[in-house]
Order: sequence, then C-alpha cells, then structure tokens
Amino acid sequence: MSNAARRIFAATSLSCALILSAASAMAAPADTKASVEPEESNTLTIDPPKPTWFFVDGGWDSPGTSIFDGDSGKMKGMVETRRLADMAIDPAGKYYYVAETIWSKGDRGTRQDMVTVYDSSTLNLVTEITMPGRLLIGSRKNNFIVSDDGKTAYVYDFSPTSGVNIVDLTKRKLVSAIELPGCASMMPNPGVGFSALCSDGSLATVAVKGTKANITHGAPFFDATNDPIFDNFAYDRKKKETTFLTYTGQIYTAKMGAVPTVSAPFSLQAAAGVRVGDTKPLDLNWFPGGRQPMALHRPTGQLFVLMHKGEYWSHKEAGTEVWQVDLASQKVVKRFTLKEPMGNIEVSQTDKPLLFMNDEKKNGLILDVATGEEKHKIENAGAGIITVLEPS
Amino acid sequence: MKKFNADAMGETLLRKLAGGSSRRSILSRLGAALVAAPVFPLLPVSRAEAAKPDRSPETKTYFARTAQTKDDTKCDYWRYCAIDGALCTCCGGGIHSCPPGAEPSPVSWVGTCINPDDGKAYLIAYRDCCGKPACGQCGCDNTDRETQLYMPQLNNDVIWCFGTSSMEYHCSTAVLVGAAS
Repeated sequence: MSNAARRIFAATSLSCALILSAASAMAAPADTKASVEPEESNTLTIDPPKPTWFFVDGGWDSPGTSIFDGDSGKMKGMVETRRLADMAIDPAGKYYYVAETIWSKGDRGTRQDMVTVYDSSTLNLVTEITMPGRLLIGSRKNNFIVSDDGKTAYVYDFSPTSGVNIVDLTKRKLVSAIELPGCASMMPNPGVGFSALCSDGSLATVAVKGTKANITHGAPFFDATNDPIFDNFAYDRKKKETTFLTYTGQIYTAKMGAVPTVSAPFSLQAAAGVRVGDTKPLDLNWFPGGRQPMALHRPTGQLFVLMHKGEYWSHKEAGTEVWQVDLASQKVVKRFTLKEPMGNIEVSQTDKPLLFMNDEKKNGLILDVATGEEKHKIENAGAGIITVLEPS
Repeated sequence: MKKFNADAMGETLLRKLAGGSSRRSILSRLGAALVAAPVFPLLPVSRAEAAKPDRSPETKTYFARTAQTKDDTKCDYWRYCAIDGALCTCCGGGIHSCPPGAEPSPVSWVGTCINPDDGKAYLIAYRDCCGKPACGQCGCDNTDRETQLYMPQLNNDVIWCFGTSSMEYHCSTAVLVGAAS
C-alpha cells in the first residue's frame, strides 16, 4: 500500500468510527425528547393477481419476475424465477407456479427439476414438487401450462427425448412422465388433457386418464419447416380456442376438443390491405416478429401483433409497429407506431385494455389501446416474456 | 449426385460419439429417439435436395447475400446463418473449438449455410460449449431457416448442453459437417 493510500484508508476508517460513535451518543437523548416511536422492520403482503397487472420475466441476465400495475406503472412485488424458469398463474389466483431447474452446487452437482409453489398473498414458498426434468430454453409461454380447472400442470421435457411431465397440483405430486415424440408447445384441452404442435404440421391431442396418455394426431395444416407457427400462441379458456400465427403472417384458430378443428387461415397483411407475406427472399414486406410477437385480448377477440419491415426469416426481429387485428371480421383495425422497437407484447384482459411491451434493453412500455397514449415507461422492467391474468 | 440424408448422418455421428464416450446413456437415448420417433422430421436439406438447387442471388436470403468468409469473429461470417449466442471465436475458442475448460455438447441444432466463395450449401452443426458462465462476447442471433420448438434440431434457443458435465451455456461453435448438396 502506498503512503497516499494508507492515509486515505486511515481517514476513511476514522470517519466511519466518528459517525458510529456520534450516532450512538445522540440516540438516547433524541428519542426521549421527541418521543418518536422506534420503527420495526416488517414484510408486506400483496393482493391476489389482478387483471391490470403485468408479470415481466427479467430475461437471460436478470432473475425474478417483476409484477407491475398497468394503471400506475408501479412495481408491486416479485415472483422468484431464476434463469430459464417458466411461470404460470393459478386460475383461482391463490398461487404462482414456477417450473425451474437448480443444481446442488450452483451450475454443477446434482440437477433438480421442480414445480415450485408460491403463495400469491405472501409470495412465500409453499412447497416444491419434484419431477424428472424439463427443457432449458426460456422465453416460452407454452412449455409450462396449467389446466383450466387449475388442477393439473403440464411441463415440457426434452432431455433430449421429447416428453411431458404431468403434475397434480392438488395433491402436489408428479402423476407421470409421458413421451411425446415430434411435438412441443402445449395448450390446455379441457376434459381431454392437452394438445401440442408437431413437426409434421399437425396438432397432437393427448387424452390423459390417470397415469395413461393416448396420443392422436389431426391432419397436417401448416408447414413446420417453411412457415412455422410461433411457439408463443394464445389460448382462450372461455372459448376453448387457440389462436396461432405463422412466420409469414397466417392466422389460424383451433377449437379444442377430443378432435380439435382448425379454421381456414387468413393473412394478417391482407387484413391490413398489404401484400400477403411470402417465404421468398428479396420480398420486402411487413412481417410479424419478436420473442413474444402476439397478444390476444380474449373478451373482444382483438389480436395485437408486433410487426417490422424486412425479408422472410426475420422472425425474431423486434416490431416497429403493433397491428390490431379484429379476428371476427379478419381486418386490421388499427396500427400503432412505436418509438423504439419492441420484442415482447402482452395485453391486459380488462374492459379498457392496456398493452405492455418490452425490449432487450429491459425497457418496459405501457400503451392505452383506446387512445394509443403512452401511459408509462419503466426502466429495467425486464427483457423476458410477459404474463397476464387470464379470464376464467 | 450423391444422395444426402441428414437424418442418417446425424445417427452415424451420434453412434460414433456414443462409442467413444462415457456418457452412453444419454446419447443412446437420443439415438433411440431419432430412430423411434414416428414423425421425426427430415431436415430441410433433404427436402430441398429433391429439387435442383438454385444458388442465384435472387434465391438467397439476406444473410447469404451479404455473408463473408474472412473473419469468423463477426456475425456475418458465412457459417453463422442460424447461430444464436456468443461466438466461441471471441471467447478464447475457435470455429470448432471450445475455449479452455469448456466442454463441447455432443448434440446440436443445425443450419444449412451457403459459402459465398463456391456458392455451395453446407450443413453446419452449432455445438454449444458448456460448463462456464455465458461468455458475453460477440452476441449474434441469425435465423435463416430457424424454426420453433416442435422442430428442436432447427431451433437456436434451446440450451444444447446435453450429455456434458454441466448444462451451463458458455458460447457456440459452427462445425462444418459436410456438403448439403
């Protein structure tokens, strides 16, 4: 240590000591004279999940899922999610479920995969449900889904054989681990089990009875190689329907059931009076893109899609506009221009819907759908995917 | 023209790896999955091979039209047409080599990239190097023919550190596997 460094160190130590001694010397007389009640540390609780709240995953660099109130733009709390964890909300609003993977020695040692249960009021750990494994990927909404009645969770596994863990959330234990070759990206199928997209362009339906699962495939309806459906599609519990969007901009709706039926698609670009999206190179057009490129306002059937200008195979590019599609009339009814490109989008399921978007720099943005007004900007909101409370 | 079958090639590679590896169980499980999966898809190169390949500029993606062959520490290096992550060439490793202390994953996602010097398409295996924290240098995310999770071998978001002693992702390499046409 140099002489100068020694002097600085000595001065710093001395000033610390002075502050400490002054504080202890002053504490007693000040309290007695002003009769100030000494404070005690405590911990707050939080309301059950509300339709105006947005749950924003921190992304690759930041663990934790922050809860923001869309009206005020304020943070309400945080659910513990580590890197590549998936979160789901209990439909009854009592719990937050997190499918996650940890190792006994940080990044090495014994691997442990589990569904972790948190109380939605205290945000405290309730229990852990052990399971055989899960895929490590992140930014996927449909690798961990909860059935409409809240009783069963399905966790996608890839180790590297493709399968699904079926978890009983009432008894809080693993029911079975089934193989699901060639399919992933799940959606609930009430009264049946679940359905999933497959590499042959079909929808597989998995009828679950106890520990047994029976897999059936519908007819192929999309081209998984040349025009894939984005993994982050949206399921509607009330209508028991799923809305799909492909890289070129084709929109499909699938009605769930023992044998799901898939609608004829329509073009998102044609719905806006723009040329239909094509897979050919050198064809500059508007395309959907991002990590979570679409959000469905279920009560009104409005689909919000992040759009950018570019060539095909630019499906991860952030959106410079949001297109609002009315699914019933198959028309783009509004286009919102964004000041900064955004990679993820979600919409509150409220009468006055709010859009929440974020980018890779973790900036969050809340827009009012009715007016297009920018309500709040939130720094460090998180770069990961966004979740909202869905109507039951 | 020699027939190219990427699925068969994948299986051969896996069998070779399984023979020389102590981690037989996970590799044999994957091998079984490749063989047993009834709807396991053909790679796009096998489908494209049915038609005569057209490598004219009009049929090339934006990446293929602008790719270069000189600097493998840049995102536009020709082999990186579907890479996602940190380039190992910027992290103390090489184009097919892991940085010191990191371990290559025996399985990977693949891309079909065109070398602008000869105009031919090649199959590239993007093998992750595992067992160290994320390198953080030279982050790239190219998405030519990159698909979604139901076609995992063509998805570049999956952490491919299977069969390695640690599943922590460090960086990605771009290993030349062979000619695609």
